[in-house]
Amino acid sequence: MSAASPAPASGPGSASGPSSARRIVGAVIHQPYIWAIVALLLLLIINLVKDPSYLGVSVNATTGNLSGNVIDILRASAPIMMIAIGMTLVIATRGIDLSVGSVMAVSGAVSMEFMNNSGGGDAGTAIMAAALALGISAVLGTVNGVLVSVVGLQPFITTLITMLAGRGLAKVITSGQNTSATNEPFRWLANGTVFGFPVIFVIGAVIVAIVAILVRRTALGLMIESIGINPRAARMAGIRPIGILISVYIVSAVLAGIAGIFSTASVMTVEVAKTGLNAEMDAILAVVIGGTSLAGGKFSLTGSVIGALLIATLDKTIVFLSIPSSATPAFKAIVIVVICLLQSQRVRALFARRRSRTTPSAPVPTRKETVSA
Amino acid sequence: MFKTARFRAIAGIALAGAMALGVTACSGGSDAEGGGSAEGDVTTIGFVAVGPEGGWRTANEKNIQDSFSKENGFDLKYAPATNGDQNSQITAFTSFIDEGVDAILLSATEATGWESVLERAKEAEIPVVLLDRGIEPNDTELYTSRIAPDNVGISASAAEWANEQFPEGANYVVLEGPPGLSVVNDRNKGWDETIDPNFTKLESQSANWSTEEAKSVFETILKANNNNVQLVFAQNDEMGLGAALAVEEAGLKPGTDVKIITIDGTKAALEALAAGRLSFVAEYNPLFGDTAIEVVDAALAGETVESEIVVPSVTFDSPEAATEALPDRAF
Repeated sequence: MSAASPAPASGPGSASGPSSARRIVGAVIHQPYIWAIVALLLLLIINLVKDPSYLGVSVNATTGNLSGNVIDILRASAPIMMIAIGMTLVIATRGIDLSVGSVMAVSGAVSMEFMNNSGGGDAGTAIMAAALALGISAVLGTVNGVLVSVVGLQPFITTLITMLAGRGLAKVITSGQNTSATNEPFRWLANGTVFGFPVIFVIGAVIVAIVAILVRRTALGLMIESIGINPRAARMAGIRPIGILISVYIVSAVLAGIAGIFSTASVMTVEVAKTGLNAEMDAILAVVIGGTSLAGGKFSLTGSVIGALLIATLDKTIVFLSIPSSATPAFKAIVIVVICLLQSQRVRALFARRRSRTTPSAPVPTRKETVSA
Repeated sequence: MFKTARFRAIAGIALAGAMALGVTACSGGSDAEGGGSAEGDVTTIGFVAVGPEGGWRTANEKNIQDSFSKENGFDLKYAPATNGDQNSQITAFTSFIDEGVDAILLSATEATGWESVLERAKEAEIPVVLLDRGIEPNDTELYTSRIAPDNVGISASAAEWANEQFPEGANYVVLEGPPGLSVVNDRNKGWDETIDPNFTKLESQSANWSTEEAKSVFETILKANNNNVQLVFAQNDEMGLGAALAVEEAGLKPGTDVKIITIDGTKAALEALAAGRLSFVAEYNPLFGDTAIEVVDAALAGETVESEIVVPSVTFDSPEAATEALPDRAF
């Protein structure tokens, strides 16, 4: 994940301290996702207060794998991470992809139905099932991309249609049933371990790293941002938006397909009405928490990864603290609202103002309110 | 510029087409024939259904559709909810009233908020039969009859089995459906009233009827309680199977270390019971299409109908019982 190099710090006022460690800390503090990190730590501390051994990771005597709450969080965050990364790229182009949850269901339905019908329990069948699922996800992504870029439909409407149609498609594939299958290699993807570490998170991290290298070590990231900032200027500057838009939607759909494989492999059942339900909301939240603006333009993959980790931690914390199930949506909403508030321009301006007293190089925001601090 | 204008036009047409598709999808085949009222002796029935949810629901809705067949003199219009959304159900319900169907069958996704549409159906003199899911507040004036297995009784029988198994009491966890459903309230009621006071309820969490969510929720509950959980009361089969997966993942053995009770009795659950992964399965009988036909016929003939009809259900408490019942399990 370290390869996910953060977007350039928003302000020039990174503290020019003597040590490089201090500079890194300074750069991170100026990132919009700093509050997500704070919230993440806060949630972990709350859990620690409830149970001092919360962060402990031990080796399970019976299964020989690492076990612990942190491992569970990493495992639960992998599918959210996948869709959040795809969503980040789409949002950066001023788009949105509401269809990720349905694509998850389609991908899960395709792989389960394939394995159920072929009956093979070997790795070959698993690979075929996964390839088929990702292929169909890519087709759905292409539909989104073409409608948005070539036809010029609104991304919201386009992906809303794919969202409705996708879940319908998943139901058609399994004829409305929740299909189960048995295939050990496929199950291993979500439940297995490499050196005791969950495979699902390792795969997720590798995929994030690949995407990060692709967009940050080439000009692709800049092109995506420029389309999001000003499509016309981007075109004048010689960037062809159609190709980039189509590929961004395909990437988002394929990543959603991977998320679908992850979440169905964990129980080896696709629940056509439940798999990936409301996943688009989690993805959008992760992106927003990570500091990428819904208005498009600059994006931060690191931020989205942190957002995904935060959402997984939040879900797990709710259960760990035994918050009554009827209160969970409210609890989740409060945490997210607080983070968004802390990220808002005005609140950040307040902090920037404070900072400007110590580092005169920082831009002084032109706010009318006087801060008494 | 000419090019973009043309694209806009195409986009407009495509959008309109998509919207039209969307609209028809919403009303979900309910008006396939287009406002055909009863002719001759064909009885038109509107079925406001839940749609794909799990094995139980599929079996139930298929049974209803098969029972109200053309051969039996019915024209059943099936309107499943879009992803469990109550609004889509209310829309389907009102369009059935407007069409003037002879009777409406309703399986509500949410218990509350049905008064005004039920009132309208009553004004239009269309009998409404509730299938499985009840409504809150339960005003029997608003509907003809409710046909359902007895949720309170079924979960009470599950609690009785637990009392027998753990005379000394045990730590247990309840995995519920979404909060607010009448099923969830009833299943909680039957359990809480019957379970012995020496049992400790560690936690009651919703896993939204889902295997995946139940697995994730229960693995965390196990960690929060250092695996000191002896019993799980899962309010449907899918969640029970998810809990079994979480137990296995934690290196424990479902059936010995953690006993799991589920309600519904689908094939998948009985297979798991036969394999020893579940410990007790209480059936929630979905096959009551014939009773529904009797009730609808009686209501249309103007006879008085019982406002509450209980569908009999059985329980399975051993792998042997499950193995025996499996070959002719219809759902």
